[in-house]
Amino acid sequence: MDIQTQRQGAITIIRPQGPLCGQDADQVKTAIIEASGASLGRIVLDLEAIPFVDSRGLEALVEVTEEMSEGGQALKLCAANKTVREVLELTQLSGLFEHFEDVGSAARSFL
Amino acid sequence: MERRNIEPSSEKAQSIESTLSSPHDAGLPGRAVAQNEGNVSRESRLLMRGETVIARTGLILASIVLVAMFSNGWLTYQAQRDAVSAARRQQVMAVESLLWQSAEIMLAQDEVSAVRRLLSDAGRTYNLKRCRIVLPDNGIIASSEPSQINLHKLPATWSDGPMEAGPNTANEMLVTLSHPLRIAGRGSARLDLFAPVDYPLRMFLETQGGVGAIGAAALVSLLLVYRNMRWRLRAMGAIREALLALSHGEVSMAALTVGPDLGPEAVAWNDLLLEKDKLSTLVVVGATRDPVNDRRVNKGDLDAAFDAMSQGLVLINEKLEAKFVNGAAAVFLQARREEMVGHGVANFIKYKPVLTAIEGIAAGTVRKRMTIEVKQGGENGTGVLKFSIRPVRREDSAAAMVIIEDVTQQRVADESRNAFVAQATHELRTPLTNIRLYVETAIEEGEANPAVRTNALNVINQEARRLESIVTEMLSVSEIEAGCFKLNRAEVRLDALFTELAADYEAQSRDKGIQLKMNLPPKLPAIKGDRDKINVALHNLLGNALKYTMAKGHVAVNVSIDKSSLTVEIVDSGIGISAEDQKHIFDKFYRAKDPRVGKIVGTGLGLTLAREVVRLHGGEITVDSQIDKGSRFTLTLPIAVEAV
Repeated sequence: MDIQTQRQGAITIIRPQGPLCGQDADQVKTAIIEASGASLGRIVLDLEAIPFVDSRGLEALVEVTEEMSEGGQALKLCAANKTVREVLELTQLSGLFEHFEDVGSAARSFL
Repeated sequence: MERRNIEPSSEKAQSIESTLSSPHDAGLPGRAVAQNEGNVSRESRLLMRGETVIARTGLILASIVLVAMFSNGWLTYQAQRDAVSAARRQQVMAVESLLWQSAEIMLAQDEVSAVRRLLSDAGRTYNLKRCRIVLPDNGIIASSEPSQINLHKLPATWSDGPMEAGPNTANEMLVTLSHPLRIAGRGSARLDLFAPVDYPLRMFLETQGGVGAIGAAALVSLLLVYRNMRWRLRAMGAIREALLALSHGEVSMAALTVGPDLGPEAVAWNDLLLEKDKLSTLVVVGATRDPVNDRRVNKGDLDAAFDAMSQGLVLINEKLEAKFVNGAAAVFLQARREEMVGHGVANFIKYKPVLTAIEGIAAGTVRKRMTIEVKQGGENGTGVLKFSIRPVRREDSAAAMVIIEDVTQQRVADESRNAFVAQATHELRTPLTNIRLYVETAIEEGEANPAVRTNALNVINQEARRLESIVTEMLSVSEIEAGCFKLNRAEVRLDALFTELAADYEAQSRDKGIQLKMNLPPKLPAIKGDRDKINVALHNLLGNALKYTMAKGHVAVNVSIDKSSLTVEIVDSGIGISAEDQKHIFDKFYRAKDPRVGKIVGTGLGLTLAREVVRLHGGEITVDSQIDKGSRFTLTLPIAVEAV
């Protein structure tokens, strides 16, 4: 799976390309945790290029946000499409994350 | 009997299998049948093996007893028979010696009847089969059996032919003796004796009866022991099998349990297994519950609240040890909480000024709040951390509280804002200066020279427009920042748009000596969109192309249209953009690191704006560039589908 990372100011934006499922979920989780460690948790997960997530994808996201919650933070998600938003709502996991319309507003939330 | 036990008939084997499998099935209904069968057959095989071992041992023992008994009997029998026949022979020889001596004397005196009586008595007393005196002409003068006598009177004399003595033999069955007689004055004769050797069976039975009884008793007790052991060994065999499986890593209770009807050992084994299973379950449950308990029980409300803080919090006592550390502090200081609590603060706060401040406050010499910003780099996460250190006073102890905030993004934002303000000031000041200068020129020389005045007014007009566009751009960016950048959709006539675009930049390109070429298709449709904003995007792209292309270069605008999209390529032969810069050129306030870019005025907002506009129309801008070769910006806008 291709995972693009981009810096915007002091923030790392992680942009996985493709569905967040199966083995790829672990890869994304590792990428997020690494980036989070390197930038003291200033990360945004851009879901723009993720068409859908499966249970492992959800699990990976929940694990990351729970880990971050130890440090008083939550994983910031942005640009989730309707399918992904619905999955998060239906599984009642939406409240574990911070949601933003786009990368810009997510990045501004760090100010 | 033995054989039957070792190799039970197929019927019996079946019954053993069913005995084994039934408790499993009853106890564990969910178990797969195939696995069940496999295990049972394996178990019963091993069970058989267990039985076979004892059965074989029993058989060997029984055979040893039997062989010992038989060989003992045989040897005894042989020895006894030899002894009996030797004694008989001795007896017969003694009788013979007595008989011939007596017979010689008696016959010499012609006492035939006495001889006959003697023989008859001897035959009866000593159990002789035949005892007779034979003359050379085969006449029998005396015999133990009177019917055999064929000479009633002893002849006075007889031809004294050679009297051969018969063979003297002795075997196990018969002792045959023959002795020549010399009867004085008459002639020679012969005494024949046939004595059967009677082997008394009773004697054998008497001597061997005890041994046989002992052997039989041994066999019977062996059988009883076997029958008793067999049950025990069934359980043992099954348990042995289970132990072997256990040592090979089998953990399933279903596979390890043995049939409880195999005896108390089996029940005890099953109990042991259950106990072990419970214990391991408890261990697992305990292991999983501990962290949860740690979190849920050991953590008070206040601790949980501190952990929910996004600021790091460290409480430090007067010995400069961390008393409390919240989660965020552990993240910011890149250390594990358990390595921090109770340890010296210098172990995890490496910044000298912060340490000095903490020491001062913890010692009570400093009472004021101190704020220190530390910029950290390297592998452990880059950023700017703001440490606020303040004293926490209580009667019993002095302490310091450190609050750590991550202000990296604020600092980055400040920097870019400062850079933007500096850039904007510069951008605004240049046209303003020009305007002021030309206004002065127009005032001073305009009256006298209308040409100068006209020129001055033109420049003022141009600069005023430039100012306007700068202000518009800044406003747009602030709108994007605020998230309220909206489109005013209307019909956009593309042909007019491009014609105006060409006209706007014709003069600039001619002045700079750049060849500007517009490649437009013969017919351009009208699209739905925000004309002003599309215009801004195109102006920014084309303006950049001309701005970063040196004299004698060329710039081309290639417009193509298909069913669903409009594609505008703006190709220049300018200074190009490095691969690293290409990633960031669409970021706000970003200007390429190329020193040539620094010399050219710009806000770093044009491309951000252009891309934002195009994205709002549902399109995209991509860049393809090589340093010193030129750049190609491709703008695509959907046309057939209504943009979102």
